[in-house]
Amino acid sequence: MLMISPRMASGMQEKQYTPSLLSFFIYNPKFGPREGEEEKKILFYHPIEIEKNEKIRNVGLCEAIVQFTRTFSPTNPAKSLHTQKNRQFFHEAEENYWMVMVVRNPMVEKPNKDGKPPTVEYQEEEIIDSVYGSVLQQCYCMYKLFNGTFSRAFEAGGVELLTQKLEKFFYRYLQTLHLQSCDLLDVFGGISFFPLDKMTYLKIQSFVNRVEESLSLVKYTAFLYNDQLIWSGLEQDDMRILYKYLTTSLFPRHSEPELAGRDSPLRPEVAGNLLHYGRFLTGPANLKDPDAKFRFPRIFVNTEDSYEELHLIVYKVRERVNVMDLNREFCEQLDSLVGPQLTLLASDICEQFNINRRISGPEKEPQFKFIYFNHMNLAEKSTIHMRKTASVSLTSVHPDLMKILGDINCDFARVNEDEEIIVKAMTDYWVVGKKSDQRELYVILNQKNANLIEVNEEVKRLCATQFNNIFFLD
Amino acid sequence: MIQSIFSDEHTVVFLQKGPLVFVSVSATRQSEQQLRRELLHVYHQIVSMLTQASINRIFERRKNFDLRRLLFGSEKVLDGLLDVMDSDPSFMLSAVQCLPLPSSSRDALSHILQKAITPDLVFSFLIANNRLVSVVQEKTVLEDARLKPSDLHLLFNLIRASAFQAGEIWMPICLPLFNHDCYFYAYVAYLDPPECTVCLVLLSTDKEAFYAVAECKRKIEEAFASQNALQWVANTQLYYVDDISVANLRHFLYKPSKVLDHHRQLPQFTCPEMEVGYRSQEERIRLLDPYRNMHNRIHSTSRPLKLIYHSAGKETLLAWVTSKFEMFACFTPLVTKKSAISELTKLLRWIKKEEDRLFICHLPKYSTAPQPGRSSTDRGSSARPNTSDTGLLSLL
Repeated sequence: MLMISPRMASGMQEKQYTPSLLSFFIYNPKFGPREGEEEKKILFYHPIEIEKNEKIRNVGLCEAIVQFTRTFSPTNPAKSLHTQKNRQFFHEAEENYWMVMVVRNPMVEKPNKDGKPPTVEYQEEEIIDSVYGSVLQQCYCMYKLFNGTFSRAFEAGGVELLTQKLEKFFYRYLQTLHLQSCDLLDVFGGISFFPLDKMTYLKIQSFVNRVEESLSLVKYTAFLYNDQLIWSGLEQDDMRILYKYLTTSLFPRHSEPELAGRDSPLRPEVAGNLLHYGRFLTGPANLKDPDAKFRFPRIFVNTEDSYEELHLIVYKVRERVNVMDLNREFCEQLDSLVGPQLTLLASDICEQFNINRRISGPEKEPQFKFIYFNHMNLAEKSTIHMRKTASVSLTSVHPDLMKILGDINCDFARVNEDEEIIVKAMTDYWVVGKKSDQRELYVILNQKNANLIEVNEEVKRLCATQFNNIFFLD
Repeated sequence: MIQSIFSDEHTVVFLQKGPLVFVSVSATRQSEQQLRRELLHVYHQIVSMLTQASINRIFERRKNFDLRRLLFGSEKVLDGLLDVMDSDPSFMLSAVQCLPLPSSSRDALSHILQKAITPDLVFSFLIANNRLVSVVQEKTVLEDARLKPSDLHLLFNLIRASAFQAGEIWMPICLPLFNHDCYFYAYVAYLDPPECTVCLVLLSTDKEAFYAVAECKRKIEEAFASQNALQWVANTQLYYVDDISVANLRHFLYKPSKVLDHHRQLPQFTCPEMEVGYRSQEERIRLLDPYRNMHNRIHSTSRPLKLIYHSAGKETLLAWVTSKFEMFACFTPLVTKKSAISELTKLLRWIKKEEDRLFICHLPKYSTAPQPGRSSTDRGSSARPNTSDTGLLSLL
């Protein structure tokens, strides 16, 4: 992506290039161990136009690097490789299956006088390894959610089936990667929870129990409001990637018509079931049409132990969504049972939402800019990110500050102890990072003339209101 | 070209200088830039023994020359350098640590050095306990180039590695940042055998000047004896943090910025002797790690910082850069922010008070009158290229 920033007083413009995907490939060295068979190792390669020999060379280089680093630590081989112009990330997704992502470093092109070609300056420090390494790992998790593991595919249909699946998935998925806006939240891969009062929470729980009891095919249920999770019966890791899929891909796709308003022609035909507002986001768009064909997307969960393949049913009532997994379709039953009850619940939750809103104040300018993440339940909260579009989340702070947060997160990751790091940036912004007992909190303060003690007091005030009893303070 | 490879436990860094490629595999958590700078020091140490011109020339003539033939016997020097880089903060700060000495004593010592000169003598150093006591320089030298701390570190390392005690050494040495293509000739001798803590180093550009330079040393020795100068050095008070009476502060590094002239000419830093708990080599190495990490963050090229305050399990650390100085401090882990700030203020006041004693405040110069009979082009030229040596250090 190219952004023009007119900076120089002389009127000549510098061009700023953001990081972008150069190539992405998946290989397994066991598939082509002998000379002359190298091409067999490559299971997926993007961009496809690259000449065969160059692909083989690149894969060979990655293999060599991994082997080289294994001499120093057999269990912890290379994770990233830096050159001046790009950065390569390595991830052994499954045994012997390697995924490699190559990102071009951000750069600045400065025009030269006298018709000389512009000088290019590469900004290597702008890319934080942990962020993009996490993005690569997420690529695998997303693939696994919809296709199961590599080894299962190979067992079921050999290399042909595996390459087919990889091609089909990654061709589309890679287009949705927005590398220029990856940041600390990608490292966390957290879930935003919706805080509820006890009564409503219990009502939801009992509703979910009733659904699961009466519809025996429902294996797991997850309950969301807007983009926030209330309850999930899935394993944490599965829920995490499913949540990402729902909030960045499925919901945004379906939200436009909703927002268009009741009388707008954009609104799809919801055939006359006036008893409730429920409809399926995956599966049948219109229940009343007997000829309409529909399919539920299949997902794979619990891949470590039981390896279940389920169908994903996402059922939405206004802003409330029920995600259920089952083995066969039975939508009408679901519709008639879930619809009305969910509608009733809806108004309860909506009320709670308004109460919450009143307490936390207007969302225009949050009082404190912070990011919070809890490693134990994956709960994440950010008052810095404003999700305007599906996959690109805008931040209300300068990107350099986000990178400083990334640096602090890296420092925290070095030891397993409770720590606090307070930093004053060149722009006189203060950044405070606290890590305590599996929870991390990052606060950005715009108080230019404050000193360390005052900054400390401000953060104490924040912790008292929002994070009572969580962080030890001095 | 590949610059570095990262894995969870190791970092591999590459550096290419001319025909030589350096590779470092490190289990410390230093940044790529810091590791590359260490490789650069190793390169410079090799240059200090061979000169850059020789290295380039050799490989031009024979592409697959085995440099080990020329580096035979110098493993101790390189090993010593790698070891000392892990525990000595002077490399990280690019500055020299001086021996604390009242400025009157230091001036007197410098004066003695200034008097004992001979043509073609360019630098005279007095070193005690690996700290710089005094340095005097030939006047015209400064017009061409400046003495860099990195060169001094390499010089100190060479002397340390040679591990000689009594007697004297006359050896060729190249100062890479000063002039990487030619040799000086260093006369090195300890002035206080058998303790061997005070070392005199005289650098000349004349290969044949051994006797003249040895004569300078004799004059210096005489002057020292008559004024009992060695006693001043022996009595010097290396200071401890306790002397400043700040209860929670355990250690610090303080480097004045280049605002003042003498710091621009020779960057220096000061730090107290290690307290109990940091005396062993392992502890020293361990403490340098967080210092280095903070140094890396605070001097980042893309997002530099002004201040870092890091409360961790074993200690609380602070890094602070202002226009006047740069400092790193280490406190007990349970210190409160209020105490840390007040102790820091106390420390800064103490340093200001003791400034004259802690740092070398001016670098005296002398001029060597040209020998009768020498051509006028010799005067003022800092160092003539010497092409005959291959730089074997026979005494190492």
